[in-house]
Amino acid sequence: MDKILRINMGASGGPSQNIEEAGEFSALGGRATTSMIVAKEVPPDCHPLGAENKLVIAPGMLSGTTGAMSGRISVGCKSPLTGGIKESNAGGQPAQVMARLGYAAIIIEGKPASDDLYKIHIDKDKVTISVDNSLKLMDNYPLVEKLRKEYGDKAAYMSIGSAGERKMAAASIACTDPELRPSRHCGRGGVGAVMGAKQVKAIIFDDSGCTHRQPKNQEKFKAANRAYVEGIRKHAVSGEGLPAYGTNILTNVLNEAGGYPTRNFKTGFFEGGTKISGETQAELEIQRGGLATHGCHRGCVIQCSGIYNDKDGKFLTKQPEYETVWSHGGHCGIDDLDTIAMLDYLDDNIGVDTIEMGVAIGVAMDGGVIEFGDSEGAIRLVRDEVGKGTPLGRILGNGAEMTGKAFGVDRVPVVKGQALPAYDPRTVQGIGVTYATSTMGADHTAGYAVATNILKVGGDVDPLKPEGQVELSRNLQIATTAIDSTGMCLFIAFPILDQPETFDALLDMLGAFYGIKMTGDDVVALGKKVLTLEREFNQKAGFGAEDDRLPRFFKTEPLAPHNITFTVKDEELDELYNWS
Amino acid sequence: MIPERKPGRSAGAPVFFNRKLTMPTAVDLQVQLNLDSELISAFYLLLQKGVRLPVATGCSVIKLLNDQLGIAEAYVLNRITTLFLDGKPVDDLTSSVIDNGSVLALSAALPGLVGSTMRRGGHLAAMREAISYHPPQAVTTGSGTVTIKLFNIPMKEIGPLLVERGVVLTGSELMTLVADGGARFQKGCDSVTLNGRSSPCAEFTEQLPTIMAPQQTALVKVRWNEAVSQRTGVPPAEGAS
Ligand code: SF4
Repeated sequence: MDKILRINMGASGGPSQNIEEAGEFSALGGRATTSMIVAKEVPPDCHPLGAENKLVIAPGMLSGTTGAMSGRISVGCKSPLTGGIKESNAGGQPAQVMARLGYAAIIIEGKPASDDLYKIHIDKDKVTISVDNSLKLMDNYPLVEKLRKEYGDKAAYMSIGSAGERKMAAASIACTDPELRPSRHCGRGGVGAVMGAKQVKAIIFDDSGCTHRQPKNQEKFKAANRAYVEGIRKHAVSGEGLPAYGTNILTNVLNEAGGYPTRNFKTGFFEGGTKISGETQAELEIQRGGLATHGCHRGCVIQCSGIYNDKDGKFLTKQPEYETVWSHGGHCGIDDLDTIAMLDYLDDNIGVDTIEMGVAIGVAMDGGVIEFGDSEGAIRLVRDEVGKGTPLGRILGNGAEMTGKAFGVDRVPVVKGQALPAYDPRTVQGIGVTYATSTMGADHTAGYAVATNILKVGGDVDPLKPEGQVELSRNLQIATTAIDSTGMCLFIAFPILDQPETFDALLDMLGAFYGIKMTGDDVVALGKKVLTLEREFNQKAGFGAEDDRLPRFFKTEPLAPHNITFTVKDEELDELYNWS
Repeated sequence: MIPERKPGRSAGAPVFFNRKLTMPTAVDLQVQLNLDSELISAFYLLLQKGVRLPVATGCSVIKLLNDQLGIAEAYVLNRITTLFLDGKPVDDLTSSVIDNGSVLALSAALPGLVGSTMRRGGHLAAMREAISYHPPQAVTTGSGTVTIKLFNIPMKEIGPLLVERGVVLTGSELMTLVADGGARFQKGCDSVTLNGRSSPCAEFTEQLPTIMAPQQTALVKVRWNEAVSQRTGVPPAEGAS
């Protein structure tokens, strides 16, 4: 990964391209690369859909190698949803293929003067940027079908559906899985709208003639990879729970804990929870001839995904994840898995973030647009309104905050304009701290359970002190940022959290690949550096301490069944970024 | 009293069902279903929602699981890493107390930040301190009913054995079980024994609405046509003959 591809969509005479040396980015990846480039090159006060914003795409540090779990792709830009910096990542095949093509990053800048729609084809010899107006307003599944006829089944595809072209703030960028389904999405923050603003419909990566990226120390890399895979396989979460039930294994437990936000965060328990749980979902998938265990990219050994077939045994969508099952399920009072799977498919096809879309529909339900629990109504809203770009669809497709304003709803679960994910912060106060303070807006992956006890980020935490919540959240955010920068799937967090030897194996892999010695301290330093840059970007974009807050109703409305409110004080939240 | 298992049936029993469970019952009916082991999946929804068991109350969670339900301590400690007592995450199995009407949910380790915070005694337990379980000041012993909910891995591993031991179901739960199982249930059900009298499955399911009112209770036991340990893949008890 020694080069960066820079494409100026607004160059006079049509899009131009330039290959630059990757420099410091050749040994970086994922969120580190995207955020550093955005922080350096994008004016923080620019309009997210304007020519000055840039869409930066980066594979992980070990993407394109034989290293396991290394296929996350990161997309960065200024977010049209939050107005701050954004990194959104996804699985699928593009990271592996892009890395084998040798690109550490692709930077798409400028904006075409005409209304032409473009596709970008990248192979080992050249980059071809061409107008293809026949793709206008196509959605992801038919789009990829059409592109496959032209570019074949060896390629990996990134694309936007009609929502991206319509520049909806919930628009995602789809990445194809090993079966060439556009089912993996850089979902959060409206990155699809930025791609739409650049008038790029699809990027096609073809690595024919390329080989795996070679480590500096082959033997050491192989041995470390083996130990790393062993660690992942032997852990109860990554070796058993996730492969068997996927992330939706969480529904029952969150519901039991009274932390499952139900009907737009009104209570913490959904009576229909068992009907849409991961356990019920996996059983249904198996009965219908689908799969309860499936990898979103080659080289994934956890395989938390699956294949969801319809009643006739035909592919409907990939296994909906926990957040999707929640946003379209309990959040909307819907307890029917077939409805949720259909909504997952529609979201992927139209190209919108499943969390933002589901939360927006729940807010619309609260505003009286349709009733809570109206399955048909929810499908109609996504398919016929968002999918067709009607005025109502454009309101919903611009996210929960916009929907709340349009329908006069005073309970709108967003931070920095981004919808909260599937965990009520009143029940798990520490995650509320992360939602409030993350540079990304409310984000469940921002402060993941990553090895804080091993890394000792910021020192040991006394869990009994109230300020421990802030300290834990800070440590988690630093460590998560670092893992996001490696481009590894976050689900490696568990074997790493519990098994120091697996964490060491990951460091050894990175060290053997790049011929350097990596320590836990290096990882922490990287995480801090990236977070600091992101924070500074947001400050220059106009964010202050008052934006690091949860919506007030979390402080004032007790959540049943525990009847608790969010009690972490504002002054404590303000301490989060105080690190040396 | 539930009859003890016949000696031959315990041969392949997994390590965690190593003790006898005796239940004082106050149920309206005793039902034994003779089922194909494939039909365990028909119980999954019920097991997630929770099944009731008559137990001695006033004991700790570990005592309930270990002494009363016969689940080996090593299994509890290693596999059941997330527990909720009355909706509250449990950190200490010895100080948490089972009361009449308690609801105990059992789960394996979970992904995600929140999954991790829920883990028993985990490093991130402080993040959910507001809902954590704290033991009562005073404990009274007696007998009563506990609802056990089984999620994910414990559902698959303990579930078959729990229903083999016997659980209390209402008429409406039993009817839902039979109705949801549909043709699969009819095919996989060899026979049913009702209060000691055996009848073909079809006859039982047809007559069920007249045998039991929705709110009546039955102690339902399942006899699987294949050793459950074979089905769950859990190794047999050490020293089991
Ligand atoms: S564990 Fe899941 S999300 Fe992660 S790479 Fe594998 S299939 Fe994709």
